[in-house]
Amino acid sequence: MRAHPAEFELLAPPTLPAVLSLLAHEPGEWLPIAGGTDVMVQYSAGKLAARKLVSIWNLPELRRIEISEDEIRIGAGCTYTDLREHELINREFSLLSTSASWTGGIANQNRGTIGGNIVNASPAADSLPALMLYDTDLLLASARGERRLPYANFHTNYRKTQLAADELIRAICLKRQFSGYYSHARKVGARNAQAIAKVCLAGLGRLASGVIDDLRLAVGSVAPIPMRLTETERIVKGNRIDPHLIQLAKTAAAAEVRPIDDIRSTSRYRAAVVGNLVAEFLEQLSARNAQSERISQVLARWNALQPDKAAEEILPCCGSKAWAIGMAARRPLLDESALVAACDEVWKGLTESDWLEAFRSHPRIGDSHSPAAAQPQSAAWSGEEQRKVGSAGEDIKLALAEGNRAYEQKFNRIFIVCATGKSAPQILEILRRRLQNDEKTELREAAEQQRQIAHLRLRKWLSS
Amino acid sequence: MSQPLLQSAKCEISLTVNGKLETLHVYPMERLLDVLRHDLGLTGTKEGCGEGECGSCSVLIDGMLVNSCLIPALQVNAATIVTIEGLATDGRLQLLQQSFLDCGGAQCGICTPGMILASFHLLKKKPQPTLEEIREGLSGNLCRCTGYMQIFEAVEQAARRGAST
Repeated sequence: MRAHPAEFELLAPPTLPAVLSLLAHEPGEWLPIAGGTDVMVQYSAGKLAARKLVSIWNLPELRRIEISEDEIRIGAGCTYTDLREHELINREFSLLSTSASWTGGIANQNRGTIGGNIVNASPAADSLPALMLYDTDLLLASARGERRLPYANFHTNYRKTQLAADELIRAICLKRQFSGYYSHARKVGARNAQAIAKVCLAGLGRLASGVIDDLRLAVGSVAPIPMRLTETERIVKGNRIDPHLIQLAKTAAAAEVRPIDDIRSTSRYRAAVVGNLVAEFLEQLSARNAQSERISQVLARWNALQPDKAAEEILPCCGSKAWAIGMAARRPLLDESALVAACDEVWKGLTESDWLEAFRSHPRIGDSHSPAAAQPQSAAWSGEEQRKVGSAGEDIKLALAEGNRAYEQKFNRIFIVCATGKSAPQILEILRRRLQNDEKTELREAAEQQRQIAHLRLRKWLSS
Repeated sequence: MSQPLLQSAKCEISLTVNGKLETLHVYPMERLLDVLRHDLGLTGTKEGCGEGECGSCSVLIDGMLVNSCLIPALQVNAATIVTIEGLATDGRLQLLQQSFLDCGGAQCGICTPGMILASFHLLKKKPQPTLEEIREGLSGNLCRCTGYMQIFEAVEQAARRGAST
């Protein structure tokens, strides 16, 4: 039976102390509501026991993300969208942003909060396994003061936590010590968005000289609370990844969980999937290790070259000599992310004539020859990038040639677009739209496209 | 019922809906969806599941896409809301709406207002989305008629025509 709004009270105090004093006055009487993605569902279904609610949505004290040298403190009222859009969280705590990306859909991500997800304490919650792995602490606040406790022990039983009746989660604190880890997150459900997981797994792993020196696994939807696979972790740590170890880990993981049969899945299926997900993670960790060793070899060789040779080798990735010289000067670059970051910095610092030189190294869209004599590697990459255009119909090709002419007449240079993955009709639409740009806007757009092309080519070069 | 029923009082909220300032007396826990449809007569916002799963009741609050069935009225005090009725100007459809028409992106129409607002929100954030980004941007909106392909085409077409500008 649907709830009647007249039977519920809702207050929205403007500050955190005001909320805490309300909770202290009548402990357990007031249910905090943030984005409403859990509370409102129960309310609408007539299943909400609480009659008095207090809104904590958008309280400034709960919506901050504070960064210090060794810790990031995420306000409990931050939404999944806040997490997904935060650059440092994406870089250092990608399990959290990845699991946020498959929680609900965009509308629920704009409202659902990380603190709400923790106190709602669903065994199937997508982001909780990720939090189990990052040595997370929770900062709890009440009118009595604040206390800090490890998240690992926060969930005590099915939907039971250590939160006292007058307390709120104020912030989630993550230690910034996972930059060298490979992370892996998987959700198995009916579909990615708007579906509750049958099983979800988060994994963090680090290898040193081919040996696993740390491995952390946590799973959701397979026990009354989100859990670490401590036994499996113990078996795997200190070993090299080989088929035998993967088999051992798979069996241990499936035996370690305590899933149930419910409307979404069965106990047997869930246990088997947990084993498979652990095996998949270990296989990827091993492949990733091999790949980063290959990349290290390419970069180590390039880092040791004379500056002119190093510039010459990397030139086809962009086409601008000043860029290539700038990249060579920034060596040593030790991994892919350092290389890509250097690319962006150098590219932004170039003059307009350097940009134009890079543009000239590309063939016209639909042509095979560039205005400037391109290096063979650059020409080969251009061919791959424009593959879809080559197979387009004659009418589209004619329209593109026409558009190119109009563009060159207006802007006095060739039309640059990051063609990888784009069909000829898509490129034609983009060309027609950009023809309407003024010179300044268009130069910026072309430079952005060239930057994207350079990223793709750098990655191809690294795996060559 | 063992617990005596609480009788809460109505409160006054002011909000801007499609550019117009409205002051309303509502129960604080009334759903924004009901406020829009019943108090303001804006029936373009549809109710599908009523539990945040289907996206039919999508609206924008301060530019953010939300499910209006999950928003208590008190939380939109002082907010700016855009509903499907707020997109067309002077009787002319938005480019995005026109693209849905041109591509056959609407059939029974229940999901359409939500689909269009979710697309509008996506194109504001990503003016030239990839197909993958479109699929993700609309993943919280369910359509039981079109099979989605025409909807994705409509968003692609709108992006190519520069709908976000």
